[in-house]
Amino acid sequence: MSTVDYTRELSVLDTKPALRELDDLISKPLETKPNKKFYIALSITLSMLSLLVIGLGLTFYYGIGMWGNNNPVGWAFDIVNFVFWVGIGHAGTLISAILFLFRQKWRTGIARFAEGMTIFAVMTAGLFPLIHVGRPWLAGYLFPYPNQHSVWVNFTSPLLWDVFAVSTYLTVSLIFWYVGLIPDLATLREKTTNKIKKVIYSTFSLGWRFSNRHWQNYEMVYLILAGFATPLVLSVHTIVSFDFAVSIIPGWHTTIFPPYFVAGAVFSGFAMVQNVLIIVRKIFNYEHIITLDTLEKMNKIMLLTGSMVGYAYAMEFFIAWYSGMEMERFTFLNRALGPYAWAYWIMITCNVVSPQLFWFKKIRRTIPVMFVIAIFVNIGMWFERFVIIVTSLSRDFLPSSWAYYKPTYVDAMILIGSFGFFFTWILLFAKALPVVSMAEVKAVVEGAQPSHKEH
Amino acid sequence: MSSSTVEYQKKELPAKVKTVGMTLLLVGLIIVVLGYIVNPTRTAYNNIIGFTFLASIGVGSLFFVAIEYLAGAVWSAPFRRVGEFLSSLIIILPLLFIPLLLNMNNVFHWTHPAPADKILVEKAPYLNVNFFIIRVVVFWLLWLAFYYFITKNSRKQDQTKDQLLTKKNIKISALFMPVFALTISFTAIDWLMSLAPHWFSTIFGVYYFSGTVLAALAAATIFIIPLSEKGYLVKGIHTDSYYSLGALLFAFTNFWAYIAFSQFLLIWYANLPEETIWFLARWEGNWKFVTIGLLVFRFLIPYVGLLSQPSKMNPKRLIIMASVILFAHYFDLYWLTAPNFSKGEVTFGWIELGFPIMIAGLIILVFIYKTKKENLVPIGDPKLKRGIDFRL
Amino acid sequence: MMSEKILYSFTAIFDSPDEVSHATEKVVEQGYTKFDVHSPYPLHGMDDAMKLPPSKLGYVALVFGLSGMVAALLTMWWISAVDYPIVIGGKPLFSFPAYIPIVFEITVLSASIATVLAMLFVFFKLPNNSHPLHGTEYMKKVSSDKYGISIQAEDPKFDEASVRKLFESLQAREIYSIYWDNEELTHKHKILEPKFLTFLFVVAIISSGTAYFTLNKLMYMIPFNWMMDQPKQSAQQKSLVFSDGFGMRQPVAGTVARGYMPYEFKGKPDVAGEKLINPIPISIESLKLGQVKFDIYCSPCHGYHAEGNSRLRGQFPNPPSLHSEKVRNWSDGRIFAVLTEGQNIMPSYATQLSVDERWAVINYLRVLQRALDAKETDLQ
Repeated sequence: MSTVDYTRELSVLDTKPALRELDDLISKPLETKPNKKFYIALSITLSMLSLLVIGLGLTFYYGIGMWGNNNPVGWAFDIVNFVFWVGIGHAGTLISAILFLFRQKWRTGIARFAEGMTIFAVMTAGLFPLIHVGRPWLAGYLFPYPNQHSVWVNFTSPLLWDVFAVSTYLTVSLIFWYVGLIPDLATLREKTTNKIKKVIYSTFSLGWRFSNRHWQNYEMVYLILAGFATPLVLSVHTIVSFDFAVSIIPGWHTTIFPPYFVAGAVFSGFAMVQNVLIIVRKIFNYEHIITLDTLEKMNKIMLLTGSMVGYAYAMEFFIAWYSGMEMERFTFLNRALGPYAWAYWIMITCNVVSPQLFWFKKIRRTIPVMFVIAIFVNIGMWFERFVIIVTSLSRDFLPSSWAYYKPTYVDAMILIGSFGFFFTWILLFAKALPVVSMAEVKAVVEGAQPSHKEH
Repeated sequence: MSSSTVEYQKKELPAKVKTVGMTLLLVGLIIVVLGYIVNPTRTAYNNIIGFTFLASIGVGSLFFVAIEYLAGAVWSAPFRRVGEFLSSLIIILPLLFIPLLLNMNNVFHWTHPAPADKILVEKAPYLNVNFFIIRVVVFWLLWLAFYYFITKNSRKQDQTKDQLLTKKNIKISALFMPVFALTISFTAIDWLMSLAPHWFSTIFGVYYFSGTVLAALAAATIFIIPLSEKGYLVKGIHTDSYYSLGALLFAFTNFWAYIAFSQFLLIWYANLPEETIWFLARWEGNWKFVTIGLLVFRFLIPYVGLLSQPSKMNPKRLIIMASVILFAHYFDLYWLTAPNFSKGEVTFGWIELGFPIMIAGLIILVFIYKTKKENLVPIGDPKLKRGIDFRL
Repeated sequence: MMSEKILYSFTAIFDSPDEVSHATEKVVEQGYTKFDVHSPYPLHGMDDAMKLPPSKLGYVALVFGLSGMVAALLTMWWISAVDYPIVIGGKPLFSFPAYIPIVFEITVLSASIATVLAMLFVFFKLPNNSHPLHGTEYMKKVSSDKYGISIQAEDPKFDEASVRKLFESLQAREIYSIYWDNEELTHKHKILEPKFLTFLFVVAIISSGTAYFTLNKLMYMIPFNWMMDQPKQSAQQKSLVFSDGFGMRQPVAGTVARGYMPYEFKGKPDVAGEKLINPIPISIESLKLGQVKFDIYCSPCHGYHAEGNSRLRGQFPNPPSLHSEKVRNWSDGRIFAVLTEGQNIMPSYATQLSVDERWAVINYLRVLQRALDAKETDLQ
């Protein structure tokens, strides 16, 4: 362990690369033909995706009776997956907006990729409410528009808030992502020799000229967007938590849900980003851009958010006892000791116990170990939603209507398929666009800024 | 980076400040003592407000010192001593909780539950006098221990300039985080939530945490800016360094609004009688205006006042907003506490003024005491030079 | 040809950020205003060096954010409290706390979209791929790893020689002069080009075809409509199950319809008058019900006050007043018989009025009769 010199600012990048080398390195995947590995990876994700297609086909053809949902458990895998994927989508905006506001420079290497993941994760999440309603072709009614039935939507319903939150989040994330891409597309436009690519890059870079008169406004807009995206990202998972918490089901109705859901979302999002980045930096040789320091900082955030989630579990348990309400007490004992105890303890082990290993610096900096822990975290966070939704519903107020929920093969196909959908997008993105922001990384290379002068 | 030495000359605060502090303390103390003689119950309720307010500033400041170490923030390095001085308020916390422990029966309904009150009887394993006192003392000792170790290392660094001390403090700060989260939550549950012992809300600890952070930040801002502007700190601090103070005040104002709204919306929406009764008590009679006032002082004024980028760096604006926020924290604690004492009608009189006046005097005197003994700037901190050179 | 080219600007390339920020300060000192600095990423402190006024985009965000907020709130208020008022979950029609999430989302959405659109299309006037700087060696360099300054020819102080001298004195690596693209400048955009017309025609065909198909066909296609055909027997349908082929079955012999009460005085109103006794005591509820039913069924002919003074007077044989001696002396049962079976031109009201309702109407009629024939004692 080397001692750190606190008098000097740590460099974001491991080396001091020439700016042109950075361009070459980052645009290399776009300029070379995909290799065999890429096709193998793509065929895996596409076959997973085909499971989704089959699963959805069965669901639409025969109806949602193909799923395991039963009478008390009306929300199951569909909503679990929705909440899970929306959660994954939170890391991207957190990295690009909140860390930007906190002026954390280490975010530059990972921001673009995380933003991309946000968009794909929200797209994946968006599938689930649509299929959950059973007749997705009628989804237009989710939006308030003056229709021939003279019927309006219910603005007091948290499910409608979800429609607004998720679609706003997707739109703003796309805008954020695109605004960040414009300078890079312009760099690619100047760099490429291929005529068709040149036309595409010219069109989408809108004729960006790298003018500092523009950069000034551009940075302002980036700041404004970050300022908006920060409360937005909090609001999205908050509203998702309202879906449960405004009801009166014990285990759903508890006031800590909003911050607890947000912490959980960031937690799982960081785990997913870390997983994917470890692979990406290996394949594309980005070890100097996405450094071990960056990964360590992500692990610290996972430790922090994981502990926050642990705090929420403990507080829920304590207040359930403290409330003196029979229903509350039963629900939490039922979670820990009832028929779904296995899911509960998977959740506790993966979410609360495993990230505590990140207290040790050695583990924070060992790639295989952190990779495995992050996978555990994702499993745990999926089970967290399962525990919240299924245990509370399967045993509510009337013991006569209790039932045990079991997923069917169609549920499993849709779950696996959603990963296929997500990773297919990721692969296409990695091949089609620069996965690291060239302009932002250049700006944090040592000596890239005019040296500080006293006036 | 070339010159790592920092010009710092220790200056005494003007004697006027001390007189003000002494007067405030004496006036406050007289009102408090009179209050305890005339109306012990009402004074005890005010004592709770006073204790939770002072704990917010003391423990919250220690939290900020710890966060600076953990996040590796540089802008705040020249200001860190102010946080350390304010966190020394932890030492005098017993002054405020001991009179309360003697008056517990007056304010805490759960100390003598009616046997028919099944819920309170069931809660007795947690809500009983002995366990309560144990918790208060243990929490206090924990805060004291962390305060002692963190500031000791920081003071030592003034002489040795040893970078390893920073590293040590980072480790202590990391340990402090879970301790802080749990102690501050249970302090909120014990002192504030259990005033209405049938009521419960899982977010309550986070609610008090958001207020704690705001109070500590605001108190620090109120000290930092005049000290820095009048040259008691080091030379060369740019207004860019204030920006982070303004931005954090703004951010946590929003955070408070978010937490408060989440708690309200979920309870309002589900409309369960055992929960809504708490909000109803704060909406009946004159309390409605207090609740609206809370929204105005705690959210609207700071939000509008700190929205634009230049206003987050403007020293005058920052002092005004920090004062509003600090006042709003006291107001918030009053809003949490007083409806348990007087239902339906707001009571406000001279007894309510005792604790705020006394606490203001206490803070000023403790601060002066610390400035006499210690440097106002952590001159041995390796990040200090970078902190002074900080630009946005 | 070369001499015809119009100069756009003089540009200089620098190697390091320090050089370019120093050079920028010098350019500003010399009093040039129409110049620009180009760099592959934003340079810190460049807006100070270039003396740029603060960005105004914050105001765009503020204005559009606030308008989005107000618009969302007004829309929700109008929809839920005015146009489609439905009480849901016991919440008020305008339940403000429940609108906050959507108001927030719309505020953020409108502010973000407006700010970005304003920046790109109003402030920067993009897309602009025909700017003279495009396609130059200069642009290639500043897009990757060099820093450049461009002083435009339209600057009032612009003078080729002095600008070149300035750049040289600042030790620029390279100096380029940038010209307007002549072809671009002289190109005339003709609207009636055959190619363009064909394009317009194709677009028109495609868009109208799509609109027609969507509105007339696609919208009426019901996917998976078998959920609507359920294997059940509908009324009036032929049945394959029963031997007589009827889908609808006869009730079992002796079945009595729900609420059915046999009436044994058919054709014998006087007997009914003697035997039937009003089972409904006079009460406020009964009178209220009687009034409602009387006003609906009886008043069209007999009038609201049963004086026979109705809006139908003169169009039919005049309906009688119910205040006549005869009716006043009838027992309740006798009136019941009239209501049940009808009398003269008056039809039976047995289907419109249930048994209880008929008694209620009778109770109400007694009140009307009494009102027009009050006794001295009533006044006390």
